Amino acid sequence: MTGTPQIEFSDVDKHYGSFHALKSIDLTIPKGQFVALVGPSGCGKSTLLRSIAGLEKISSGTIRIAGQTVNDIPPRKRDLAMVFQSYALYPHMNVRDNLTYALRLKGIAKDERAKAADDVAKIIGLEGLLDRKPKELSGGQRQRVAMGRAIIRQPKAFLFDEPLSNLDASLRVRMRKEIRALHDRIGSTSVYVTHDQIEAMTMADHVVVMQAGVIEQQGPPLELYERPVNRFVAGFIGSPAMNFVDATVTDDGTKVVLELQSKPTIAIAGQLEPGRKVTAGLRPEHIETGDPSAQDMAPIMIGAAEATGATTYLFSDDDPELIIVTDGANLIKQGETVGFSIAPERVHLFDPGSGRALTQSGG
Amino acid sequence: MNDRARNIALFAVALVLAGIYLFPLYWMYVTSLKTNSSIFAVPPEFLPGTPQWQTYALIWDEANIPRYIFNSLFIATGVTLVTAVVGSGAAYVLARYRNLWIDVALFVILMLQVLPPSLMVTPIFVAFSSVGLLDYPRIATILAISAKTMPFFVILCRAAFMTIPRELEEAALVDGNSRAGALFMVVLPLARNGILVAAILIFMQGFGEYVYSTSLIADNRLQPASIGMTNFLQPNVVTWNAIMAFAATYVTPILALFVLLQRNIVSGLTSGALK
Repeated sequence: MTGTPQIEFSDVDKHYGSFHALKSIDLTIPKGQFVALVGPSGCGKSTLLRSIAGLEKISSGTIRIAGQTVNDIPPRKRDLAMVFQSYALYPHMNVRDNLTYALRLKGIAKDERAKAADDVAKIIGLEGLLDRKPKELSGGQRQRVAMGRAIIRQPKAFLFDEPLSNLDASLRVRMRKEIRALHDRIGSTSVYVTHDQIEAMTMADHVVVMQAGVIEQQGPPLELYERPVNRFVAGFIGSPAMNFVDATVTDDGTKVVLELQSKPTIAIAGQLEPGRKVTAGLRPEHIETGDPSAQDMAPIMIGAAEATGATTYLFSDDDPELIIVTDGANLIKQGETVGFSIAPERVHLFDPGSGRALTQSGG
Repeated sequence: MNDRARNIALFAVALVLAGIYLFPLYWMYVTSLKTNSSIFAVPPEFLPGTPQWQTYALIWDEANIPRYIFNSLFIATGVTLVTAVVGSGAAYVLARYRNLWIDVALFVILMLQVLPPSLMVTPIFVAFSSVGLLDYPRIATILAISAKTMPFFVILCRAAFMTIPRELEEAALVDGNSRAGALFMVVLPLARNGILVAAILIFMQGFGEYVYSTSLIADNRLQPASIGMTNFLQPNVVTWNAIMAFAATYVTPILALFVLLQRNIVSGLTSGALK
């Protein structure tokens, strides 16, 4: 990541009683970037966001915003804008007052505030709704008001706490694009918390994957997809999730035998110690199917097939099953044996104990 | 039994129960309009022959009703103010924090609600007397009653505060407000209904209070109406119509207020329970 750092964490810890919510977090968010914090619930991503806002006090370490240490600075002096999961619109104020609340606290004159509200309403498409109360708005409109309340001032950063999780699926896809477009237009720094890896992958310049209070990996979305550093990140990024199969390295060290019923052998990039136990990670969309008798194809028995039109999901007759995503025109039925192959460089290998990705020598 | 028949039966039961419950109130109004002889008539007369309106005019001056009502209003207002200001603050804190000490505090507050005033009045009297508070008997009474009404108010208001999402306050903080500012600009306006309803109920309690007033206020000129009424109960003569006229004058305004506000009161009380 390049650019001037806007938000910096160094060695930040947070304890709630005996619960260790953040474990020595080091993170730099450059100015103008859209950074997504993603992970399963309870991984500490919301705590991290709330500690940027000042809503949580960190136990140790330092947080700097635009170069200034903010550990002991209250939220109101941090000059950040936050969009909450529940939107947190003030129910007793109309949309205009909701939008301009921060300006009012800054002591900006009333007519100037009204003008700002009109401008923002135009940007987010809320003209004509300024006199309504939040309860008279639809979910999508409330979401827009929450966004508008954030962009009406020029904060040092925007913080989003799962802002789309209360919307229905189609609206979510649309708002995803709008939020990103808004970010590009304003040129602000954004930190976006979500448990939905697709949101993180599609919206962010930089994705931070967290688990149990630790940053597991961070980087551009495709880097996480292509080069996950451990089994957790590999399984978290991508949908449907990566297949993990126990495997053993063959005698020549360039192939592995998968622990499936048909004991298929697949080639790997590079070379590993013969006889070593590994976990092979195969993305469902990287597996190709074909004639089982053809060369380079390993046979596999199909336990179930789900055709959705555009794609067909195949489930092998194993436990745990191997999921394969193929073309929708591929008419394979339950009980058939098909051949499968995967490019060696697309086979991920992990240490079964630590879960860390194995760097294959020579690969 | 079909729905209609069941509804009618339930309505009849409700009417009978309401009749039984409200009969004393009716009897108070009727008795206040009777002559002395018809009060003791056997069998009892359920309607006054000729309404004796002059009883009201008579007691208005003779029984110092304006002074008593003023004292009652003074005490009830004082109790409401003290309870609302102190109680709202306490309720807010109890609603926002969640730990062992808060649980202990809630338990102690509920315990206070259990203790009857007749039990508390002696220690309160002794304590107030030793700090000289009894020189200001109405203030002393206001403090004593407030201590009694506080638990009820705190519990009601805490429920009102708990319905206000924390995120609203956090949004106000991020928007640039201080903690106190967020309380006054966001939380209190939203909890207003709950606080008002609880305050009205406390006002009514303060208006009818008897035990502390009678024990702490010796001077007849400072006593509230609840005590003034008992002045009619003399060893040999009991002028029932005067007492009932006094009682009617005393409770009718409060009754009217309650009837006017009952819809708000019920919705305020159940606001936490129902979505």
